[in-house]
Amino acid sequence: MEDNTRRSFFKKAVAAAGVVAAAGYASTLVSKPSASNNSASTKYAADVVLQEKAVTGNHLVIMTDDEKKQRLDDLLNCHYHELA
Amino acid sequence: MSEEKIEELNAADDEQQGRREFLKYVCASSAAALVAAPETAEAVAGAANPDADITVAEYFQGHFLLMSDEEKRQAIERMEKRYSAKYGKKTTVSDAPAPKDVLFGYALDISKCIGCRRCVHACVKENNQSRHDPEVQWIQVMKIPKGNISFTVDKLDKGYPEKSGFGDYGVQVGGNAYKAAGLSTEDAQNYYQDDAVPDKDYFYMPVQCQQCEKPPCVKACPVRATFRDHAGVVLIDYNWCIGCRMCQLACPYHARRFNWGEPNLPHEEMNPKTHYFGNRPRMRGVMEKCTFCVQRTREDRDPACLEACPVGARKFGNLLDPESDVRKVLATKRVFRFKEEFGTYPKFFYYMG
Repeated sequence: MEDNTRRSFFKKAVAAAGVVAAAGYASTLVSKPSASNNSASTKYAADVVLQEKAVTGNHLVIMTDDEKKQRLDDLLNCHYHELA
Repeated sequence: MSEEKIEELNAADDEQQGRREFLKYVCASSAAALVAAPETAEAVAGAANPDADITVAEYFQGHFLLMSDEEKRQAIERMEKRYSAKYGKKTTVSDAPAPKDVLFGYALDISKCIGCRRCVHACVKENNQSRHDPEVQWIQVMKIPKGNISFTVDKLDKGYPEKSGFGDYGVQVGGNAYKAAGLSTEDAQNYYQDDAVPDKDYFYMPVQCQQCEKPPCVKACPVRATFRDHAGVVLIDYNWCIGCRMCQLACPYHARRFNWGEPNLPHEEMNPKTHYFGNRPRMRGVMEKCTFCVQRTREDRDPACLEACPVGARKFGNLLDPESDVRKVLATKRVFRFKEEFGTYPKFFYYMG
Protein backbone atom coordinates (compact mmCIF):
# COMPACT_ATOMS: atom_id res chain seq x y z
CA MET A 1 0.00 0.00 0.00
CA GLU A 2 1.24 3.50 -0.81
CA ASP A 3 2.60 5.48 2.11
CA ASN A 4 0.88 8.88 2.09
CA THR A 5 2.09 10.19 5.44
CA ARG A 6 3.56 13.62 5.99
CA ARG A 7 6.86 12.00 6.92
CA SER A 8 7.12 10.24 3.58
CA PHE A 9 6.30 13.48 1.81
CA PHE A 10 9.15 15.29 3.56
CA LYS A 11 11.44 12.40 2.75
CA LYS A 12 10.60 12.76 -0.91
CA ALA A 13 10.90 16.53 -0.77
CA VAL A 14 14.34 16.31 0.80
CA ALA A 15 15.41 13.72 -1.73
CA ALA A 16 14.19 15.93 -4.59
CA ALA A 17 15.98 18.92 -3.12
CA GLY A 18 19.14 16.86 -2.87
CA VAL A 19 18.97 15.75 -6.46
CA VAL A 20 18.25 19.24 -7.78
CA ALA A 21 20.95 20.78 -5.62
CA ALA A 22 23.46 18.22 -6.86
CA ALA A 23 22.46 18.98 -10.44
CA GLY A 24 22.73 22.72 -9.76
CA TYR A 25 26.22 22.46 -8.37
CA ALA A 26 27.28 20.12 -11.12
CA SER A 27 26.12 22.64 -13.71
CA THR A 28 27.96 25.38 -11.81
CA LEU A 29 31.14 23.37 -11.94
CA VAL A 30 30.73 22.64 -15.62
CA SER A 31 29.94 26.22 -16.63
CA LYS A 32 32.42 27.83 -14.25
CA PRO A 33 35.13 29.83 -16.06
CA SER A 34 38.51 28.17 -15.93
CA ALA A 35 40.98 29.36 -13.33
CA SER A 36 42.90 31.39 -15.84
CA ASN A 37 41.01 33.68 -18.17
CA ASN A 38 43.13 32.38 -21.02
CA SER A 39 40.29 30.36 -22.45
CA ALA A 40 38.18 33.53 -22.70
CA SER A 41 41.05 35.30 -24.43
CA THR A 42 41.50 32.43 -26.84
CA LYS A 43 37.81 32.35 -27.70
CA TYR A 44 37.79 36.12 -28.12
CA ALA A 45 40.82 35.91 -30.43
CA ALA A 46 39.00 33.25 -32.46
CA ASP A 47 36.07 35.64 -32.88
CA VAL A 48 38.42 38.33 -34.16
CA VAL A 49 39.96 35.88 -36.62
CA LEU A 50 36.45 35.16 -37.89
CA GLN A 51 36.02 38.87 -38.50
CA GLU A 52 39.32 39.00 -40.35
CA LYS A 53 38.12 36.15 -42.55
CA ALA A 54 34.80 37.89 -43.13
CA VAL A 55 36.57 41.02 -44.32
CA THR A 56 39.46 39.58 -46.34
CA GLY A 57 39.07 38.24 -49.84
CA ASN A 58 36.38 40.76 -50.65
CA HIS A 59 36.22 43.74 -52.92
CA LEU A 60 35.23 47.28 -52.10
CA VAL A 61 33.70 48.50 -55.33
CA ILE A 62 33.44 52.18 -56.15
CA MET A 63 29.85 53.20 -56.65
CA THR A 64 28.81 55.21 -59.66
CA ASP A 65 26.80 58.37 -59.06
CA ASP A 66 23.62 56.51 -59.93
CA GLU A 67 24.47 53.76 -57.48
CA LYS A 68 25.17 56.27 -54.74
CA LYS A 69 21.86 57.97 -55.38
CA GLN A 70 20.08 54.64 -55.46
CA ARG A 71 21.74 53.58 -52.20
CA LEU A 72 20.71 56.78 -50.45
CA ASP A 73 17.16 56.52 -51.77
CA ASP A 74 16.94 52.93 -50.57
CA LEU A 75 18.22 53.88 -47.13
CA LEU A 76 15.79 56.73 -46.75
CA ASN A 77 12.89 54.64 -48.05
CA CYS A 78 13.71 51.89 -45.57
CA HIS A 79 13.91 54.42 -42.77
CA TYR A 80 10.59 56.10 -43.54
CA HIS A 81 8.96 52.72 -44.06
CA GLU A 82 10.18 51.61 -40.61
CA LEU A 83 8.88 54.81 -39.05
CA ALA A 84 5.51 54.35 -40.70
CA MET B 1 -24.13 0.69 -4.47
CA SER B 2 -23.19 -1.34 -7.50
CA GLU B 3 -19.72 -2.81 -7.94
CA GLU B 4 -19.17 -0.76 -11.05
CA LYS B 5 -19.98 2.44 -9.23
CA ILE B 6 -17.51 1.57 -6.43
CA GLU B 7 -14.75 0.93 -8.96
CA GLU B 8 -15.50 4.23 -10.66
CA LEU B 9 -15.25 6.10 -7.37
CA ASN B 10 -11.97 4.34 -6.50
CA ALA B 11 -10.54 5.30 -9.88
CA ALA B 12 -11.53 8.92 -9.34
CA ASP B 13 -9.98 8.82 -5.88
CA ASP B 14 -6.74 7.38 -7.31
CA GLU B 15 -6.68 10.08 -9.94
CA GLN B 16 -7.12 12.79 -7.30
CA GLN B 17 -4.41 11.15 -5.21
CA GLY B 18 -2.07 11.09 -8.22
CA ARG B 19 -2.66 14.75 -8.89
CA ARG B 20 -1.99 15.59 -5.26
CA GLU B 21 1.27 13.64 -5.34
CA PHE B 22 2.24 15.36 -8.56
CA LEU B 23 1.59 18.82 -7.11
CA LYS B 24 3.60 17.92 -4.02
CA TYR B 25 6.58 16.93 -6.17
CA VAL B 26 6.27 20.06 -8.27
CA CYS B 27 6.25 22.30 -5.18
CA ALA B 28 9.17 20.46 -3.63
CA SER B 29 11.20 20.53 -6.83
CA SER B 30 10.51 24.22 -7.42
CA ALA B 31 11.60 25.10 -3.92
CA ALA B 32 14.72 23.00 -4.30
CA ALA B 33 15.51 24.49 -7.69
CA LEU B 34 15.20 28.00 -6.30
CA VAL B 35 17.71 27.17 -3.61
CA ALA B 36 20.03 25.22 -5.83
CA ALA B 37 20.15 27.28 -9.02
CA PRO B 38 23.49 29.08 -8.90
CA GLU B 39 22.24 32.23 -10.60
CA THR B 40 19.38 32.55 -8.17
CA ALA B 41 21.64 31.91 -5.24
CA GLU B 42 23.93 34.62 -6.58
CA ALA B 43 20.95 36.91 -7.09
CA VAL B 44 19.73 36.34 -3.57
CA ALA B 45 23.22 37.08 -2.29
CA GLY B 46 23.33 40.20 -4.44
CA ALA B 47 20.36 41.72 -2.68
CA ALA B 48 22.44 42.25 0.40
CA ASN B 49 25.68 43.05 -1.37
CA PRO B 50 25.73 46.11 -3.66
CA ASP B 51 28.99 44.90 -5.22
CA ALA B 52 27.43 41.71 -6.43
CA ASP B 53 27.12 41.35 -10.16
CA ILE B 54 23.43 40.84 -10.14
CA THR B 55 20.48 41.70 -7.97
CA VAL B 56 17.23 39.86 -7.61
CA ALA B 57 15.32 42.65 -9.31
CA GLU B 58 17.73 42.75 -12.23
CA TYR B 59 17.56 39.01 -12.56
CA PHE B 60 13.83 39.14 -13.08
CA GLN B 61 13.88 42.37 -15.11
CA GLY B 62 11.98 42.44 -18.41
CA HIS B 63 12.92 43.94 -21.76
CA PHE B 64 13.70 47.61 -21.19
CA LEU B 65 11.67 48.80 -24.16
CA LEU B 66 8.56 47.08 -22.83
CA MET B 67 8.84 48.46 -19.30
CA SER B 68 6.59 51.19 -17.96
CA ASP B 69 8.20 54.56 -17.18
CA GLU B 70 8.14 53.72 -13.48
CA GLU B 71 9.83 50.35 -14.06
CA LYS B 72 12.46 52.02 -16.20
CA ARG B 73 13.13 54.59 -13.50
CA GLN B 74 13.51 51.88 -10.88
CA ALA B 75 15.79 49.79 -13.12
CA ILE B 76 18.06 52.76 -13.79
CA GLU B 77 18.15 53.76 -10.14
CA ARG B 78 19.10 50.21 -9.22
CA MET B 79 21.91 50.13 -11.76
CA GLU B 80 23.29 53.53 -10.82
CA LYS B 81 23.39 52.43 -7.20
CA ARG B 82 25.10 49.15 -8.01
CA TYR B 83 27.67 50.60 -10.43
CA SER B 84 28.45 53.48 -8.05
CA ALA B 85 29.08 50.99 -5.25
CA LYS B 86 31.06 48.62 -7.40
CA TYR B 87 33.34 51.16 -9.10
CA GLY B 88 33.57 53.62 -6.23
CA LYS B 89 32.43 56.65 -8.25
CA LYS B 90 29.14 58.35 -8.94
CA THR B 91 27.84 56.59 -12.04
CA THR B 92 24.93 57.74 -14.17
CA VAL B 93 22.90 55.51 -16.49
CA SER B 94 20.99 57.53 -19.05
CA ASP B 95 17.97 56.32 -20.98
CA ALA B 96 17.83 59.34 -23.27
CA PRO B 97 15.68 58.42 -26.29
CA ALA B 98 16.82 58.47 -29.90
CA PRO B 99 16.47 61.92 -31.47
CA LYS B 100 13.62 62.47 -33.89
CA ASP B 101 14.10 63.10 -37.61
CA VAL B 102 17.60 61.67 -37.55
CA LEU B 103 19.16 58.74 -39.38
CA PHE B 104 22.75 58.38 -38.31
CA GLY B 105 25.40 57.56 -40.87
CA TYR B 106 29.18 57.29 -40.77
CA ALA B 107 31.86 57.72 -43.41
CA LEU B 108 35.53 56.80 -43.25
CA ASP B 109 38.24 58.01 -45.61
CA ILE B 110 40.53 55.06 -46.33
CA SER B 111 43.08 57.28 -48.04
CA LYS B 112 43.47 59.39 -44.88
CA CYS B 113 43.51 56.68 -42.21
CA ILE B 114 47.05 56.12 -40.94
CA GLY B 115 46.36 52.98 -38.93
CA CYS B 116 47.37 54.52 -35.61
CA ARG B 117 44.53 52.73 -33.76
CA ARG B 118 43.75 55.81 -31.65
CA CYS B 119 40.08 55.26 -32.52
CA VAL B 120 40.29 51.71 -31.18
CA HIS B 121 41.72 52.81 -27.84
CA ALA B 122 39.35 55.78 -27.53
CA CYS B 123 36.46 53.39 -28.13
CA VAL B 124 37.70 50.94 -25.48
CA LYS B 125 38.07 53.77 -22.98
CA GLU B 126 34.74 55.45 -23.72
CA ASN B 127 32.68 52.29 -23.85
CA ASN B 128 33.95 50.54 -20.72
CA GLN B 129 35.23 47.53 -22.58
CA SER B 130 37.23 44.77 -20.93
CA ARG B 131 40.82 46.01 -20.63
CA HIS B 132 42.78 42.79 -20.45
CA ASP B 133 42.36 39.03 -20.75
CA PRO B 134 40.98 39.88 -23.23
CA GLU B 135 40.99 43.52 -24.25
CA VAL B 136 37.68 43.64 -26.06
CA GLN B 137 37.77 45.93 -29.08
CA TRP B 138 34.79 46.91 -31.19
CA ILE B 139 36.97 48.31 -33.97
CA GLN B 140 39.50 46.23 -35.87
CA VAL B 141 41.93 48.04 -38.15
CA MET B 142 42.80 46.06 -41.29
CA LYS B 143 46.04 46.68 -43.14
CA ILE B 144 45.61 46.27 -46.90
CA PRO B 145 48.38 46.30 -49.54
CA LYS B 146 48.15 49.38 -51.75
CA GLY B 147 48.63 47.21 -54.83
CA ASN B 148 45.09 45.99 -54.27
CA ILE B 149 43.53 49.16 -55.58
CA SER B 150 42.45 49.93 -59.12
CA PHE B 151 40.82 53.15 -60.15
CA THR B 152 39.61 52.37 -63.63
CA VAL B 153 36.39 54.05 -62.70
CA ASP B 154 35.99 55.37 -66.22
CA LYS B 155 35.51 51.78 -67.40
CA LEU B 156 32.79 50.92 -64.96
CA ASP B 157 30.12 50.95 -67.64
CA LYS B 158 32.28 49.19 -70.21
CA GLY B 159 31.95 45.67 -71.44
CA TYR B 160 29.16 46.41 -73.88
CA PRO B 161 29.23 46.51 -77.70
CA GLU B 162 31.04 49.60 -78.83
CA LYS B 163 32.59 51.16 -81.88
CA SER B 164 36.12 50.16 -82.78
CA GLY B 165 38.64 51.25 -85.37
CA PHE B 166 37.18 48.67 -87.71
CA GLY B 167 33.69 50.10 -87.51
CA ASP B 168 30.61 49.43 -85.47
CA TYR B 169 30.10 45.69 -85.63
CA GLY B 170 28.51 45.38 -82.26
CA VAL B 171 31.43 43.32 -81.10
CA GLN B 172 31.56 42.87 -77.38
CA VAL B 173 34.91 43.77 -75.96
CA GLY B 174 35.04 40.90 -73.57
CA GLY B 175 31.85 41.10 -71.52
CA ASN B 176 32.52 42.72 -68.13
CA ALA B 177 36.16 41.91 -68.56
CA TYR B 178 37.25 45.10 -66.88
CA LYS B 179 37.86 44.65 -63.24
CA ALA B 180 35.48 46.75 -61.20
CA ALA B 181 37.16 49.82 -59.82
CA GLY B 182 37.88 49.53 -56.16
CA LEU B 183 39.95 47.99 -53.45
CA SER B 184 40.53 44.32 -52.88
CA THR B 185 40.87 43.17 -49.28
CA GLU B 186 42.99 40.20 -50.34
CA ASP B 187 45.93 39.68 -47.96
CA ALA B 188 44.49 42.12 -45.43
CA GLN B 189 45.71 41.61 -41.88
CA ASN B 190 44.58 43.06 -38.59
CA TYR B 191 47.25 42.05 -36.09
CA TYR B 192 49.98 44.24 -37.55
CA GLN B 193 52.64 45.32 -35.09
CA ASP B 194 54.47 48.09 -36.94
CA ASP B 195 56.96 50.32 -35.19
CA ALA B 196 55.71 53.28 -37.13
CA VAL B 197 52.55 53.98 -39.09
CA PRO B 198 51.54 54.61 -41.76
CA ASP B 199 53.41 52.11 -43.89
CA LYS B 200 53.56 53.78 -47.30
CA ASP B 201 52.71 50.53 -49.08
CA TYR B 202 49.47 49.95 -47.24
CA PHE B 203 45.98 51.31 -46.72
CA TYR B 204 44.28 51.00 -43.35
CA MET B 205 40.65 50.13 -43.03
CA PRO B 206 39.00 50.17 -39.60
CA VAL B 207 36.04 47.78 -39.43
CA GLN B 208 33.25 48.08 -36.88
CA CYS B 209 29.51 47.59 -36.72
CA GLN B 210 28.09 48.89 -40.01
CA GLN B 211 24.71 49.79 -38.44
CA CYS B 212 22.77 48.11 -41.22
CA GLU B 213 19.37 49.50 -42.10
CA LYS B 214 18.18 45.90 -42.57
CA PRO B 215 20.27 44.26 -39.85
CA PRO B 216 20.43 40.45 -40.06
CA CYS B 217 21.54 40.32 -36.41
CA VAL B 218 18.19 41.77 -35.35
CA LYS B 219 16.34 39.17 -37.39
CA ALA B 220 18.46 36.39 -35.91
CA CYS B 221 17.95 37.32 -32.25
CA PRO B 222 15.46 34.83 -30.80
CA VAL B 223 14.52 37.06 -27.87
CA ARG B 224 14.66 40.48 -29.59
CA ALA B 225 17.32 41.69 -27.23
CA THR B 226 18.93 43.46 -30.15
CA PHE B 227 16.93 45.98 -32.12
CA ARG B 228 17.26 49.02 -34.33
CA ASP B 229 16.28 52.38 -32.86
CA HIS B 230 14.51 55.26 -34.66
CA ALA B 231 17.84 56.87 -35.50
CA GLY B 232 19.00 53.73 -37.30
CA VAL B 233 21.42 52.49 -34.63
CA VAL B 234 21.39 48.80 -33.73
CA LEU B 235 21.42 48.37 -29.95
CA ILE B 236 21.37 45.57 -27.38
CA ASP B 237 19.52 45.21 -24.08
CA TYR B 238 22.33 43.45 -22.20
CA ASN B 239 19.98 42.31 -19.45
CA TRP B 240 17.68 40.65 -21.94
CA CYS B 241 20.44 39.04 -24.05
CA ILE B 242 20.64 35.26 -23.52
CA GLY B 243 24.11 34.95 -25.04
CA CYS B 244 23.14 32.50 -27.78
CA ARG B 245 25.45 34.25 -30.28
CA MET B 246 23.01 33.87 -33.16
CA CYS B 247 23.46 37.56 -33.96
CA GLN B 248 27.22 37.12 -34.18
CA LEU B 249 26.72 34.29 -36.63
CA ALA B 250 24.29 36.35 -38.71
CA CYS B 251 26.50 39.45 -39.00
CA PRO B 252 28.25 39.51 -42.41
CA TYR B 253 30.98 41.73 -40.94
CA HIS B 254 31.48 39.74 -37.71
CA ALA B 255 31.36 43.05 -35.88
CA ARG B 256 29.86 41.73 -32.63
CA ARG B 257 31.86 40.74 -29.59
CA PHE B 258 30.90 38.15 -27.02
CA ASN B 259 31.94 38.37 -23.38
CA TRP B 260 33.43 34.92 -22.96
CA GLY B 261 34.68 35.77 -19.51
CA GLU B 262 33.93 38.31 -16.81
CA PRO B 263 35.04 41.67 -18.27
CA ASN B 264 38.09 43.19 -16.58
CA LEU B 265 37.32 46.87 -16.09
CA PRO B 266 39.60 48.58 -13.58
CA HIS B 267 37.69 50.89 -11.23
CA GLU B 268 39.90 53.88 -11.96
CA GLU B 269 39.42 53.51 -15.74
CA MET B 270 35.65 53.15 -15.68
CA ASN B 271 33.75 55.86 -17.57
CA PRO B 272 30.91 56.81 -15.17
CA LYS B 273 28.77 58.56 -17.78
CA THR B 274 26.85 55.70 -19.30
CA HIS B 275 23.74 54.84 -21.27
CA TYR B 276 21.50 51.82 -20.66
CA PHE B 277 21.93 50.59 -24.27
CA GLY B 278 25.49 51.81 -24.59
CA ASN B 279 28.57 51.80 -22.46
CA ARG B 280 27.28 50.65 -19.09
CA PRO B 281 29.43 47.79 -17.77
CA ARG B 282 28.45 44.46 -19.30
CA MET B 283 28.43 41.05 -17.73
CA ARG B 284 29.83 37.70 -18.75
CA GLY B 285 27.83 35.86 -21.39
CA VAL B 286 26.32 38.78 -23.29
CA MET B 287 26.96 40.28 -26.69
CA GLU B 288 28.25 43.80 -27.27
CA LYS B 289 29.23 45.98 -30.21
CA CYS B 290 29.65 49.53 -31.51
CA THR B 291 26.61 51.71 -30.83
CA PHE B 292 27.93 54.88 -32.52
CA CYS B 293 28.56 55.89 -28.88
CA VAL B 294 24.83 56.11 -28.12
CA GLN B 295 25.59 57.85 -24.80
CA ARG B 296 27.18 60.69 -26.77
CA THR B 297 25.22 60.85 -30.00
CA ARG B 298 21.89 61.02 -28.19
CA GLU B 299 23.25 64.14 -26.55
CA ASP B 300 24.27 65.70 -29.85
CA ARG B 301 27.94 64.81 -29.45
CA ASP B 302 30.25 62.97 -31.86
CA PRO B 303 31.37 59.37 -31.30
CA ALA B 304 34.65 58.94 -29.39
CA CYS B 305 36.45 57.34 -32.36
CA LEU B 306 35.74 60.39 -34.49
CA GLU B 307 37.03 62.76 -31.82
CA ALA B 308 40.20 60.70 -31.41
CA CYS B 309 41.09 60.51 -35.10
CA PRO B 310 44.15 62.74 -35.60
CA VAL B 311 43.77 63.02 -39.37
CA GLY B 312 40.03 63.65 -39.70
CA ALA B 313 39.37 60.44 -41.57
CA ARG B 314 36.03 59.92 -39.88
CA LYS B 315 32.77 61.75 -40.61
CA PHE B 316 29.49 61.33 -38.77
CA GLY B 317 26.10 62.88 -39.31
CA ASN B 318 22.45 62.78 -40.15
CA LEU B 319 21.67 61.10 -43.46
CA LEU B 320 18.35 62.95 -43.60
CA ASP B 321 20.16 66.29 -43.66
CA PRO B 322 21.62 67.14 -47.11
CA GLU B 323 24.05 69.54 -45.44
CA SER B 324 25.55 66.92 -43.10
CA ASP B 325 29.13 65.69 -43.56
CA VAL B 326 28.00 62.19 -44.45
CA ARG B 327 25.63 63.37 -47.14
CA LYS B 328 28.34 65.62 -48.59
CA VAL B 329 30.71 62.66 -48.71
CA LEU B 330 28.07 60.60 -50.51
CA ALA B 331 27.48 63.42 -52.97
CA THR B 332 31.06 64.33 -53.80
CA LYS B 333 33.50 61.50 -52.98
CA ARG B 334 34.38 58.11 -54.37
CA VAL B 335 32.34 55.89 -52.09
CA PHE B 336 32.71 52.12 -51.92
CA ARG B 337 30.08 49.46 -51.55
CA PHE B 338 31.19 46.57 -49.41
CA LYS B 339 29.47 43.21 -49.13
CA GLU B 340 26.33 44.62 -50.63
CA GLU B 341 25.37 41.15 -51.83
CA PHE B 342 23.93 40.57 -48.36
CA GLY B 343 21.37 43.34 -48.91
CA THR B 344 21.78 44.71 -45.40
CA TYR B 345 22.11 48.39 -46.40
CA PRO B 346 24.95 49.40 -44.10
CA LYS B 347 25.07 53.05 -43.00
CA PHE B 348 28.84 52.97 -42.63
CA PHE B 349 30.53 54.12 -45.83
CA TYR B 350 34.16 53.78 -46.86
CA TYR B 351 35.36 56.41 -49.27
CA MET B 352 38.42 58.08 -50.75
CA GLY B 353 38.73 61.82 -50.81
